Amino acid sequence: MIEKIDIGKCTGCGICDLVCPADVIHMEPAPVETQVPGLRQVNLLPIIKFREHCITCFSCEIFCPEQIVDVHPSVKNRPRPW
Amino acid sequence: MVTPMLEGTLIETDVLVIGGGAGGLLAALSAKRHGPPGTRVTLVDSWLIGRTGHTAFSNAWKIVVAPDDDLDGILREIVAGNDGIADQVLVREVLANSYARLKDFEAIGMTFGRDEDGRYKRRPTRGLDLARVMYPEGGGLEFAWKLRRALEAEGVQLIDRLFVTGLLGGGSGRIAGAVGINSRSGAFHAIKARATIVATNAITFRSGFVRDITGTGTLLAYRAGASLRNAEFSYVRPGTPKFYFEGITFAIQEGAHFVNAKGEAFMRDYEPEWGDEADVPRIARAMAIENEKGNVPLYLDMSPIPEGLRDYFIQSKVKWMDYFFRKLGNEARTDMFGKTPYYALNQMTKMGIRTGADCRSDVPGLLAAGLAQAGCANHFAGFHIGLCVGNGWIAGRSAIEDLDRLPSPRLDAAEVALLHRETVAPLDAAAAAESDLILRDLQAVMFAYNIGILKKADRLEEARRQVDSLAERFKALSAPHTHELVRLKETEAMLLAAQFILGASLFRTESRLSHFREDYEARDDDRWLVWVDIAQGQGGPSFTKTPIPTPLCSAAPLDRRPTRRIARHGEDAAPVTST
Repeated sequence: MIEKIDIGKCTGCGICDLVCPADVIHMEPAPVETQVPGLRQVNLLPIIKFREHCITCFSCEIFCPEQIVDVHPSVKNRPRPW
Repeated sequence: MVTPMLEGTLIETDVLVIGGGAGGLLAALSAKRHGPPGTRVTLVDSWLIGRTGHTAFSNAWKIVVAPDDDLDGILREIVAGNDGIADQVLVREVLANSYARLKDFEAIGMTFGRDEDGRYKRRPTRGLDLARVMYPEGGGLEFAWKLRRALEAEGVQLIDRLFVTGLLGGGSGRIAGAVGINSRSGAFHAIKARATIVATNAITFRSGFVRDITGTGTLLAYRAGASLRNAEFSYVRPGTPKFYFEGITFAIQEGAHFVNAKGEAFMRDYEPEWGDEADVPRIARAMAIENEKGNVPLYLDMSPIPEGLRDYFIQSKVKWMDYFFRKLGNEARTDMFGKTPYYALNQMTKMGIRTGADCRSDVPGLLAAGLAQAGCANHFAGFHIGLCVGNGWIAGRSAIEDLDRLPSPRLDAAEVALLHRETVAPLDAAAAAESDLILRDLQAVMFAYNIGILKKADRLEEARRQVDSLAERFKALSAPHTHELVRLKETEAMLLAAQFILGASLFRTESRLSHFREDYEARDDDRWLVWVDIAQGQGGPSFTKTPIPTPLCSAAPLDRRPTRRIARHGEDAAPVTST
């Protein structure tokens, strides 16, 4: 299950959001101080929005160009047969 | 309640393919290549095409029948391995064309391993003697991504993140496309198409590794008038509660075997011929019986595998297995497998859309590919994707033939508006997201060993009542956002599928393949060499028998003994010459 994204090192490229097949990671506007009066600065950064639906497929970690996503290999939400 | 205003996007195409796994990717490629210049082909998937679905997360092992292989022998063993539940004409064509597809894959940049003499590296697979399987370098992620790139290069329109919520009938007695929503923004789309191919996999209960596959397209096809079949069969595979392990088949060929809590290697007691190399329905049944005997937990003993081969199986061909292995470190070595309990868990049903060998459904303009097509009820390791590759190709070709054969589709504005209303009706920003609660209870009913594997009439009837009650509870649910709306639609389809699975399981009063009835233990070819077809009837689904034709070979069990492979370390049996 996804543990964390090191936001301090994130470039906001959005690949983790794109490749997630379970809609767990969403790119959302981060609060940024406007540097030029009159311009609205938008920085998109990933948030782990639906962690409980992570399927532990590692896609976000595999494809992150900065290697700042950490998925733990244990599956914590798998059903049992009895 | 205020009627939501219809607002969205209309797209027009010739061939619409729904689902971006092996079946859908190949259907789109086939349609583009079979169609005259200018043919518009559109492929949609609820997430990112090439990075989602069962194919992308698999090793992408696939059966390839080389020119000097025994094609009819392989057909015969696949039919026997399906206990007769196979469309022989379709399977033969899939096998016969598999080598040409291999060449297509190489032409778009995939690489398949060869030995030092230049021959393809191939392996046998469990439950089959003659068939050989092979995989592309990089496994499913590379397979799916290279196909995505090829489709882009050949001019197929790709639409990511489109979750299809309904098929359009247009009031003209044929399918005229589909409607859906962007799975992130919720934006509504209608796609008018002259042919529509459903390739959304078989339905799952979010249990297997790839829990983003939910197979909802088959249920949309049912609602649009198509028949479904093979609901009583399932793919229940050994797994662990802690992690996923792709490659059990090949680990077993190298000596791994299941043991029970007493340390007994139990598979030979149930399958004297195949032992641990039996195919998964038979292992699942043995595991369920061991559970009833109180012999659990069960383990996979990897210790007989030579040290040098362990990494090969654990790391596998898929990148996520590599990450998994590396991050678990030493814990992931043999000890991990030796000390982790295994159980049999339903990965997917085998219910698909009833079609002919041409992949056309009973409804004009609607075709099926991949595991959404009910060509077989048992797929072995390597035949799952092999069949999807083959029937995808056939479906794409049939769709192109239909462009001239069928009258033009037309859109019915009232129908589009109705489907839009139905799609967005559950949205309520103030609601709680509770479909997971229903799903959890549904899993508990359907995964119970004495419902899903070892079946009996009274227990199936009781499970049916429980599912009916869950369906009632479900009606009160709403979705606060698009994420939950998609899950809600998927859960709704799972509830309907559960009703079909239980109904078909009650209907088939014999035991066959993954369908084990305690009250009808024997296989009965006189009465039950049939498909159980499910169609909309008066007041609910109707279950009927369709005799299975056997034009090419017998459906009887094979009378020869299987080849033992265990402990033939690392050999690729019967390698083929490359051409």
